[in-house]
Amino acid sequence: MTKPPRTLAIVDAGGATLSVALVGHLDGRWRLLGSLAGPAAIDEDALLAAIAERTASADPVLAAGLGLDAGSRADVPRLTARSRPPGKLLVVGATERSLGLLMAEASRTSWHLISASPETHDPREMTELALDGTVDAVLLGAGDPPGPDERGALDDLAALGVAAARRRPDLRFVLCGGIRDRRAWRAARADDLDESRIVEVPAVAGRRGEEGLLRAALEGLRADPLDGRGAMRRSVASLADLLDRRVELIEVGFDGGTRILAEPGTGGGDSTTESVITAEGGLIPPEPGDDIIDGVLAWSTGNLDRHRLIDRLRELRIRPWADAAGDGARLRLAAASAALARMAAVTEHLGSRPAPDLTIVAGGAFAGAPASAIALAVAGTIRRPGATQLAWDHARLLGPIGTIDDPAERYALLADLARDALVPLGTTFVAAASGSRQGLGRHGRGSVGRVDLAGDGLSMSRELAGDEVHFMDLPPGAVARARFEFHDAVRLGRRTRSAEVEVTGGLAGLLVDLRAVPLRLPERRDRRRTMLAAWSELSWPGDDR
Amino acid sequence: MSPRRLAVAGGRVRPVIGRVSGPLALVRERPLFVAPLEAWFGLRPGDRTLVAPGESVVRGAQLAERFRDRRTDVVEGPAGDGAEPGSWWTGSPSRRDRSGEPPSGELLFRAGGRWRVASGEPADALEAPFAGIVREVRPGAGIAVGGLGRGLIGTDVLGGPVTGRLQIAAPRDGHLRASAIDVGAAGAILVVGARIDAEAITRARAVGVRGMVVAGLGVKERREVLASERRSQAGTHGLPPFAVLVLDGAIGRPIATPVMAVLEALQGSTVAIVDMPPCLALDDGAIAVPAPAPDLVRVVAGPLAGAEGRWTGLAGPHRFAGGVILEACWVELDGGARIAIPLGDLERYT
Repeated sequence: MTKPPRTLAIVDAGGATLSVALVGHLDGRWRLLGSLAGPAAIDEDALLAAIAERTASADPVLAAGLGLDAGSRADVPRLTARSRPPGKLLVVGATERSLGLLMAEASRTSWHLISASPETHDPREMTELALDGTVDAVLLGAGDPPGPDERGALDDLAALGVAAARRRPDLRFVLCGGIRDRRAWRAARADDLDESRIVEVPAVAGRRGEEGLLRAALEGLRADPLDGRGAMRRSVASLADLLDRRVELIEVGFDGGTRILAEPGTGGGDSTTESVITAEGGLIPPEPGDDIIDGVLAWSTGNLDRHRLIDRLRELRIRPWADAAGDGARLRLAAASAALARMAAVTEHLGSRPAPDLTIVAGGAFAGAPASAIALAVAGTIRRPGATQLAWDHARLLGPIGTIDDPAERYALLADLARDALVPLGTTFVAAASGSRQGLGRHGRGSVGRVDLAGDGLSMSRELAGDEVHFMDLPPGAVARARFEFHDAVRLGRRTRSAEVEVTGGLAGLLVDLRAVPLRLPERRDRRRTMLAAWSELSWPGDDR
Repeated sequence: MSPRRLAVAGGRVRPVIGRVSGPLALVRERPLFVAPLEAWFGLRPGDRTLVAPGESVVRGAQLAERFRDRRTDVVEGPAGDGAEPGSWWTGSPSRRDRSGEPPSGELLFRAGGRWRVASGEPADALEAPFAGIVREVRPGAGIAVGGLGRGLIGTDVLGGPVTGRLQIAAPRDGHLRASAIDVGAAGAILVVGARIDAEAITRARAVGVRGMVVAGLGVKERREVLASERRSQAGTHGLPPFAVLVLDGAIGRPIATPVMAVLEALQGSTVAIVDMPPCLALDDGAIAVPAPAPDLVRVVAGPLAGAEGRWTGLAGPHRFAGGVILEACWVELDGGARIAIPLGDLERYT
């Protein structure tokens, strides 16, 4: 009979950083002893040893009891999740119109995308893209039945696909629509191609088109049971059941991001989840285009000109684990905000739901950032009227725990570790102007209402200015009732002039955000930067950049 | 696949394999060399390969013929028996073509009974920058050549491949100005220090410098190099190939001393810049290269970027500028100061 382990190393091997957490079984439950993260290339044994040594130096008796002496560390079992290496998908549509539809679906997957269509690329250019060694798969698509504008290009598309398949035996294909039925496909003797390389899905457009299947097929090409992003979905589902709360997870990583919304099961049923893993949510893409640069520039409060910003972002891509203090920390959070904004754009269907009870922030992009700055970044990009508790998966446990297949076992481990895994950041309360008004501010920056906070020995009030953010101290563990009174009606899921919500404390406290929903920033960069800098002053400790 | 289970008996949890290293292992390791070097030389559809897998090539041997003014021709009818996408096709001379040269190109695909053929005007030859053996040939995609030498690793290469004698034109923290480049550097690969400006790149290219090795290259200079490459490829009488090997990234910082020691040891010898992997290829294995000190660490980011010193131990979580708390370690800088530096900002060479 095998003895159950007393310690467990939980390892999240991300694209940029490696995080190791050490948990121990104490007093009948698992507890987090410590965690450490470093560049992806370093040895996880070294990280584990550093945590074990710190544990031993802080509590030698506990460490000895758990068998954390140098000789036994090698026997510590591990629970590992890893980020899949980024994949590149070439999307070829019969026309620019059909390409747009394919790209809209494919952008909600973890693939990095490049695109072409016969309207913009000649056969040589499309072949060049398909032969590029960095391309892992090709999506060829048209409507079903094909539109009149698509028919002329379908044979070329089919022949291009077969030719590329013959020349690159490692390339995989997703055929969307009737590509396979084309005469050119058969004429090119495609029947002798390895069927396992080809996935056929219904078209996304046309009378016989179906939505959602293409996304599933594309994600299926990259299926990996140890993938941290995919595994997070299961952890969040278990967490929703465990806490009996609606839980949303927002993750920004090196090569992609994740947004998951989970609701607890009702009537003994299982929890339900919806999720999007998207390369758009990555901190900085490998070759950022002008739109990406503009996005980061829009959230930047520094004095960098465009060229310097591109240089800094290039450095961030080369060494994403470095330059995490001072100016670098602010730039990193600006890049993370831009990534959150991109992710919000491709997950509008999740953004339109009511605010969840708990929002979990995850991913290496937020490592080391001050809690209030993380809260402000999330509130500024994932904007929904209502109140939500914010927490941070600081030790990156949710991905690895999600790789446990058995729901009961996953649930039990999460039940033990949830308090240690999630650092409370506080609560955000977002109120939107009702009707056609863009913001809450009416007369300059005058008061638009007030908030009274009471509970746990706390009692404080504050006048609220419109189009502003307000931080109120509310320590971790504190629970209070916040009563909001507004001079005019606001939108909080419904139109109201007053609301009372339960708020919980955290490192950032209570963040009351009365800016416009969605956030509107001045077009002129100097004004925008001034406005962002003013909000940033509230969230970054000290002015020592 | 067996299900992942928590209990050890379930087989999901794997034991730690290998030794537990000391705290210096927390600093990211950066290898100086890639060895043995296998370089990939990219081609585009329409370029004509001139070698086959298994062939030995010497430095300067032609690997492929590259084309400019690329276009897609549509050829009526079958292209002959055994015609396959990627194979080379030569047609019959047309009466309208005054050159008398038969049309030719790379077969792309066949649709509607007609082949699409990638063709163009011959522009330049892709030459092997070092001696080696052709490992793989993929028409329209590239050629892999394995060499006997090593490659000094950088982060990025623009242009190339090129060959030339290595010449140190600036100290490791220097900034080479355009006025310092003269025709005496023609045919050389220059080591230009921490950074270089666009004017110096333009002048270097004009006087026949074959390449540059620089610590950091900003986006402005990067665009200048790429634009110059495009102009050269578009011209009928193009300039010889040119390449820039970027050792560190986009921001200027001194070249690391272990890297500079290698470059100094190589001064005067013939080297090559190849872009995949991005490195300086060294043909001569006889050159003695000094090994870096094991406790030497280099700061790669932040206000001290480029500084070097000696690792003296872990410092634990420290608060840095901006109120950010990061895992840090103690470093004794070359000036003698002992300061805490974020662990992620350090690297060590091996």
